[in-house]
Parts: sequence; structure tokens; C-alpha cells
Amino acid sequence: MSRPRLVAVLLLGLLVPRPGLSQGVGGSVGIDANVIGPVLTITTLSNLNFGSVPKGVATTVQPTAAGAGAWQIQGSKNANVTITFVLPALLTNIQALPGSTMPVSFGATSARWNRATNNVAGATAFDPSGGTTGKLGPPANPYIYLWIGGTVTPAATAKPGVYTGTIIVTIAYL
Amino acid sequence: MKRTGLSLALLWGAAPLAGQGVVIAPHAVFMDARTRSGAVLLYNPNTEPVEVAISFFFGYPATDSAGIIVVRTVEHPDSTSPSAASWIQAFPRRLTVPPLERQTIRLLASPPPGLADGEYWARLVISAKGGQLPVTGVADTAKVRVGLTLEVRTIIGVFYRKGAVYTGISLSGLRTAVVGDSLAVWARLTQQGNAAYIGSAHAALVDSTGKTLAEMKAPIGVYYTMEPRYALPIGALAPGRYRLRLDLSTAREDLAPELVLPSPPVRDSVEVRVP
Repeated sequence: MSRPRLVAVLLLGLLVPRPGLSQGVGGSVGIDANVIGPVLTITTLSNLNFGSVPKGVATTVQPTAAGAGAWQIQGSKNANVTITFVLPALLTNIQALPGSTMPVSFGATSARWNRATNNVAGATAFDPSGGTTGKLGPPANPYIYLWIGGTVTPAATAKPGVYTGTIIVTIAYL
Repeated sequence: MKRTGLSLALLWGAAPLAGQGVVIAPHAVFMDARTRSGAVLLYNPNTEPVEVAISFFFGYPATDSAGIIVVRTVEHPDSTSPSAASWIQAFPRRLTVPPLERQTIRLLASPPPGLADGEYWARLVISAKGGQLPVTGVADTAKVRVGLTLEVRTIIGVFYRKGAVYTGISLSGLRTAVVGDSLAVWARLTQQGNAAYIGSAHAALVDSTGKTLAEMKAPIGVYYTMEPRYALPIGALAPGRYRLRLDLSTAREDLAPELVLPSPPVRDSVEVRVP
């Protein structure tokens, strides 16, 4: 049994009310009765990592590359979800004085999603700035896999150090 | 851990993450005027803590001009909107879920006095920041290194029901088109009653003998009017006449039956000609 599925099974076991046991602080009867059904999990599998980049040269990580950011979404079989991003435009050097930044950009095919299987090669490309709608897999594999790449453009005078930022992915269950 | 240390850890963690995220259940919360409360359970299956923030907004699934289902957000709903976003609160709103532990978010509704019977909606946003990763390398301060961390936000529906609630749906404008190796299906769906239509759509392409050649099934939620586009994989279909049947029902495998408002099934069909 895969780890996410095992976790789901264990969680469902936790959610089953047991006679004689407290159902929570305040004894709110009926609350746990609603806590049933499939669980929803978004797991970050890897961060988007450009590694060391040369100054003055744009560096791109494709969504198919090993350094791409990746998520796994698990939920109700065949359900639709919307996938949207909050993307940074500048990365900040956290080892230099304030104001040391680097542009980062995302293109029309910088993101990919795949239904059911963890296979980026067969995934559908989309523009992360516009988002997309995905469909979770069938009962055997109720997953969506998601990847993102991007391009950084360090200036020739870029200060050495670690440049970082945050990508926020939002999954809305429909 | 200081911010720099955390970022270094993220950047030099050469191995893929062991997995950062939080398990959320259920994926829709139903509350009523009797208890005015609900709960969402979070479970952290990882070895690092997860920071979680909770918020609400008013929004609902709708379709864009291409028939794609999106969440339409209404930042300032007017008084006629069935929004519960401003009077449902979460406790706590910020928390840290330790590794391999669960935490319960309690939802409490404080509706305005004189609220009319019906169903009111909100969207619950669960923002989760991943855990800290161990440093697996040594920084070379002469180099330029770049990495981005990923955060996740999960949005689920919250439904508050007061008094007599009922739902239904009308189906019109069913039409199809062969697009490549798929059959595109469009229909206009309009919610009836004072509650959202939560159900399933089942489309099937049948031949003259009634044999099913292609089908698809998807959960739907119709809050106002939407015109979704569905696609059935049909491959290389032989020229001829077929029939596309679309069935809408309130059956949902992922929701407990007592949470789903029942409504009679609605069906329609249309002829499909493949030249």
C-alpha cells in the first residue's frame, strides 16, 4: 500500500467515533459525524531548485527537470479541482544587504499536470500564471501530480549568496 | 532555525523532500442552525511540523467562456448573496501541527438575526507551510544559488443550512461536437431552490443498439448557472448516428448520504452525427 493511501486509511480509522470515548473538548455531539469521506492531501514532493547559476546568464529549469518543484494532490476520485499559483517576480538574496534581488519568470509551459500517474513526460503543460483545472484520477489512483519550472536572470553584477522566494499553489475543491 | 539556515537547508537539500503537506478531512463541511458548528481535522504525516493558517472567503464554482470550471471569488458580496464568510469563524486560526499528530479546527457560525431559511456558503482556505529540512551540504558563499520554496493552500466548501432547504437543477442547451479524438459536451445547468445542487454528472455515448461506446462521470456543484464542457474519449468513431445521454443526480460517493440534499434525476439526450 502506498504511503498516502496508508495515511488516508489510518486517518479514516482515527475519524471513526468510538463508543465511550470523548469526542472532543466541549463534547460537541454531532461534529465528528460529519467528518467522514475521502481526505484531501497536497504534498510538496520537491522545491524548485536552480542550484548554482552563472552571473549574467539566464538559467531555466524545465518542469520536466530534476530541479522542478513538484506536488502530489490526493482527493476524491474523478473530482475536479482548480489549480492556481501566486508567483514571485523577484527573488531576494538572504545573505546580502537588503535590496539584492534577482528576477524570476514563468512561461506559458512552465507548469505541467498529470492525472493519476507520477509521470511528468506525459503531463499536460499550462501557464502557471493563468492556472488550470485538473481532474483527480480514478479510484485506483485518485491523484493529480503537478510540476513547475521557471527562469532566473541574474545580473552580471549579482552579489553572491542564496536567492530565494516562495511559490504558493492553491487547490480548490469544486 | 534562523531564516538563513532554513533557506540553506532548502537549497542544499539535494534529495527530494520526504513529503511536506497536511491531510485534510473532510473536503466539504456541512453545518446547520441547530449545532452552528463544524470541524476540520488536520493530520501531519511527516517528520517535521507544519504551520497552518485558516481563513474564509465567499466564492463558488462557475464556468468561464470555454466551459472550464473555476472558483469565482466575490470579495465584497452584497446583502443578497448567500455568503457565510463573514460570520463563520475558525478556532484556532493559526497553529502548528506536530509530526504524526492531528489537530482539529472548530468552526463556529454566528449568523445575523433574522437570517432567512436557506443554505449559505463560504470557502475555507487552509494554508500550510512545509517543515524544515536538514542541511545536507556546506554553503559556498562565493556562488550565486537560487531556490524557491513551495507553499500549499487548500480550499474546501463550507455549507450552513437553516430551516427548510431544498435543491434541484434544470438542464438545457445540450450540444456536442467532435474535437479530435474526443466528444465535447456542453450543457446549461441552473440551480433551483435555496441550496446548491451537489451531485454527479454522467454522460454516455451510445449507438443505435444502446451499447455504451464512451462515458464519463464527474461530481458537480451548481450554485447559480453554469455551462460546463465535458470531454468523452471516443477514439476513431465510425461514421454514423449516435446518441449522447446526460444524466444529473444527487448521488455522491464521496459524501455521506445524509449530507446530500436529494433531488429527482434530470436527463436529456441529443443526437450525435459523425460524418
